[in-house]
Amino acid sequence: MNAPAAAPVPIFATPFAALPLAVPAALNEALAALLAARATEEQRDPETPPDPLCYRSREDLFDWSAEPVAALRREMLGALCAVVRATNLGAPGEFDRLTVQARARFALIRPDGGLPAASLPLASWCAIYCVAAPPGPSARPLSGVLRLYEPRLGSMFMDAANWRLRPPFAGGHHTWQPVAGQMAAFPAWVAHEIALNRTDQDLVLVIARVRFANPGQESAPPW
Amino acid sequence: MVSAPLEIIPGFAVPFAETRLAPCERLNRELEALFLARETDEYRNPTPSHLPQAELFESRFNLFRWPEPCVQELRAFVLDCVARTVLETTRVPAAELARLRMHNHTWYHVTRYAGSFVAHNHPLASWSAVYCVRAGEAVPGQPGSGLLRFLDPRWGAGSYLDAGNRSLRTAFAFGARELRLEEGQLIVFPSYVLHEVSPFYGRDVRITVATNCWFS
Repeated sequence: MNAPAAAPVPIFATPFAALPLAVPAALNEALAALLAARATEEQRDPETPPDPLCYRSREDLFDWSAEPVAALRREMLGALCAVVRATNLGAPGEFDRLTVQARARFALIRPDGGLPAASLPLASWCAIYCVAAPPGPSARPLSGVLRLYEPRLGSMFMDAANWRLRPPFAGGHHTWQPVAGQMAAFPAWVAHEIALNRTDQDLVLVIARVRFANPGQESAPPW
Repeated sequence: MVSAPLEIIPGFAVPFAETRLAPCERLNRELEALFLARETDEYRNPTPSHLPQAELFESRFNLFRWPEPCVQELRAFVLDCVARTVLETTRVPAAELARLRMHNHTWYHVTRYAGSFVAHNHPLASWSAVYCVRAGEAVPGQPGSGLLRFLDPRWGAGSYLDAGNRSLRTAFAFGARELRLEEGQLIVFPSYVLHEVSPFYGRDVRITVATNCWFS
């Protein structure tokens, strides 16, 4: 018997992009210094309890006028728009008429600290930019990784025919190792965490949630 | 206008059972001594499903086959609670449940400073449970230390929030459920629920026993 050719296609794919930003090293250093200087009690996120091993700022970073932050905002949103264009249908020029709304915070992940799992409401996309990432110890390959949680529960029944599915069909969490100058982008509904930083220096991240509005669209609920 | 009666029902509820073994002090101290004494390669899980951490010891999955009286005492308590959870949440009559064979994989974790366990669930099991032998030090200023965190399986449901759903009551609320286990506390939950242990920052040890159960 001749078996018919099989060409399975992924039908519930989740987009994820990791891309370098055109942020010069000097700008990254300036950003790191600025964020470290502003990691104050006043600037701390009031919505979450203080964590001595992880500083989370208020979500107003993109409102700052400091040039390093303004430059980063341009680069992050520009790169995210490229990801959104690459993953959406739409006529040429249609996307250019959208208004981009973004909120961002910075996080200083101290040694032995991490960011617990969360998804970001009231946004369609999440972008995480790495300002500084200390090299992880080789014995700790998951130090400080961004881990995106597998949302599908279909793998509860597992047998020899589905426990080693090949990409893009395989289940399981997805991890991305933050590298200074690079950004990850994914849908904001995906639960994600930053795993424990097993180095002796801070991991510095900027985390943005972003949404897009059509001209004349009724405003979304307040952030 | 007379308001029509309105009944609110949980449409997609996830059952969790919580109970406590009381008294538990003697049993827990015996278990702790046994577990710490057997924190060796001979008893370590040889095929861990996740990248092992130096800060977390995971035993083989045959714990409830150990003959020691303290282990058998815990086995009776845990499996009885799982069986009662099945009776309370299904239409299986007690007589039918008694005829089923109840299988389990059971192991223990010893977690030290900065140890954690990544989010996971348990394929090929229907019910899971976690029992707390030793809660470990509660660290001032670290409220997130050593939490057992259950993730909301309704992925993305909380992506749209406004005044009408931002403060749903507990049974309906979006987001993870977090528990700081106390000694003697047992939680039974469906095996499909993703759960994790947040980094533990105590200077002592956190010890738990976990089981997965299935029926045939």
